[in-house]
Amino acid sequence: MNKAKNKIRIAVQNKGRLMEPSLTYLKKCGLKFAENGRNLIVPCENSDVEILFVRNSDIPEYVRYSVADFGIVGKNVLMEKENNLKTVQELDFGKCSLVIAVPNNSKIKKLTDLDHERVATSYPRILKNFLKKQKVSASIIEIRGSVEICPSLGLADAIFDITQTGRTLSENGLKAILKVADSQAVLIQNPNSNLNYENLLV
Amino acid sequence: MEIIQPKILKGTREFGPSEMSKRNVVMAKIKEIFARYGYDPIETPILNPAETILGKYGEEGDRLTYNFEDNGKRRLALPYDLTVPFARYFAANWKELPLPFKRYQIQRVWRGEKPTKGRLREFYQCDIDVIGTESLIAEAEVARVIATVFEELDFGNFQIKTNSRRLMNDILRAFDAPKEKSMDVIRVIDKLAKIGEEAVIEELEKLKILNAKELLKAIKPEASTKETLQKLKQYNTSEIETLLDYCNALGVSEELIDFDPSLARGLDYYTGIIYEVVSHDNLDLGSLCAGGRYDNLCGLFCKESFSGMGVAFGFERIMIAMEERGDFDDLTLNSQILVTLFDEDSISDSLKLYRLLTDASLKTEVYFEPEKLKKQFKYADKKQIPFVVIQGPEEKQKNEVTVKSMQSGKQKTIPVSQLITYLESYEQS
Repeated sequence: MNKAKNKIRIAVQNKGRLMEPSLTYLKKCGLKFAENGRNLIVPCENSDVEILFVRNSDIPEYVRYSVADFGIVGKNVLMEKENNLKTVQELDFGKCSLVIAVPNNSKIKKLTDLDHERVATSYPRILKNFLKKQKVSASIIEIRGSVEICPSLGLADAIFDITQTGRTLSENGLKAILKVADSQAVLIQNPNSNLNYENLLV
Repeated sequence: MEIIQPKILKGTREFGPSEMSKRNVVMAKIKEIFARYGYDPIETPILNPAETILGKYGEEGDRLTYNFEDNGKRRLALPYDLTVPFARYFAANWKELPLPFKRYQIQRVWRGEKPTKGRLREFYQCDIDVIGTESLIAEAEVARVIATVFEELDFGNFQIKTNSRRLMNDILRAFDAPKEKSMDVIRVIDKLAKIGEEAVIEELEKLKILNAKELLKAIKPEASTKETLQKLKQYNTSEIETLLDYCNALGVSEELIDFDPSLARGLDYYTGIIYEVVSHDNLDLGSLCAGGRYDNLCGLFCKESFSGMGVAFGFERIMIAMEERGDFDDLTLNSQILVTLFDEDSISDSLKLYRLLTDASLKTEVYFEPEKLKKQFKYADKKQIPFVVIQGPEEKQKNEVTVKSMQSGKQKTIPVSQLITYLESYEQS
């Protein structure tokens, strides 16, 4: 479906940890819209803004293709894509950290112990760049989701993943040994777009 | 039996595996870029009828051309450059070829020079040409190809110097250098960087150019292209302006393409835009790529005349610059993995691992004798193989395998089923 003229489209998660706070944020901007959760494109009742509900990792792509003017996405997703999208502002919700975690009884205590080991992650690019800078060699096993079970399955010796409260880690017998980066929700925009953030506000 | 000295001729070179690995990396990159812009490769014969090659490069060139009589008493010659063989090829085949015709050619050429440092009797040339169009888009495209090559080979600080022969002739006319003299004058101006302004003025005066000083002032580049063009506005600069517009649209910015009205290039077959590439980090190497527009290169081989545009990359100079920068320091030979033989009994199991790894297209070799592991590791070290794979009886029993990093000495034992992924996903830092 082509974007109607003069419509401003913003892409948000259709499910996942950022969906609820993203909608709360849009409401705070003054936007009114129905939350039936079935339509992929939801027009706002009181402005020219349309909300596009898509998969988390596709949000940067939609903004890059200019089919969405803005997007709300985790900084972690953005970093992994390494594209030239413009971060309009940091949104102060969805805060989490990207950490390296190992089983509680692991011999791996510090970063250099990772050398020659297997690390499972959904963020291979961020991890690769980080390890390169730190001069640590490792095998980076790419897994799409539920990375935290890899060590207990014997598939990896460590994981590199996001953590918010640390609960998922401890439930899987893991502990973080190093924080690599902080992340939070960010509002992104195509660098060629001439819209302003104010266009979203009612 | 007398032993023959295993020597090679002076002025020729040979390349061992480590040199070839470097050359192949650069060659593959350059070819990939040529292909990206729609250039296709051709190759022409090394052995040619002498008349194909002789008589095209002046007296000096003929003297330097390898030519000899073969067993059938025919006069043969080896290529002196790739331009003449290309002109002959095009003249013989143009009716069947798509026009304009874009080709690249990377081959050895031969010159019977007295060999000195950097002057060989046998060396590679690396040319691209577009023939059969007068469009300045060809010039702009070639500039873009040049920029891509030097950017992607990490030359941070290079410039494509450009000028127009048409413009140069226009200026020379204004300084009373008639057409028949203009080539001599251009050859003198070409020596500007080499012998300096005063010597050039002296030689120009010998050629009866009266206001040589004024001429040099006129062709001296100003601080910016805009100012240079402004200074030359009484002449026809539209060709340069169009070229710069096209280049700009192709992302070859003004910092990369430098209009220098004093750029001459000694060869007489150029008729329009000319190029010369210098790297400011390697000024001692001279030009790394050069060429230009020609109008009748094939004239000696066919009646029709075709306009074309081409440049030659100085492959050996590019190699020297990259070597000096240490660009090849991390380059290894082909093998990335050595499968060791633990003992006589495990040879078949090791061969199976070898097959598994090569089936996954991992560059692997197997050791040939079940010798002490230490000796096998030494072989890996000498060939700079980063990984060694070991499967002793204990590992075999658990269907596991040990991977040793030759760099850190660390070992990791993993299930055989994970071996391929482990090695494929390994990021060496």
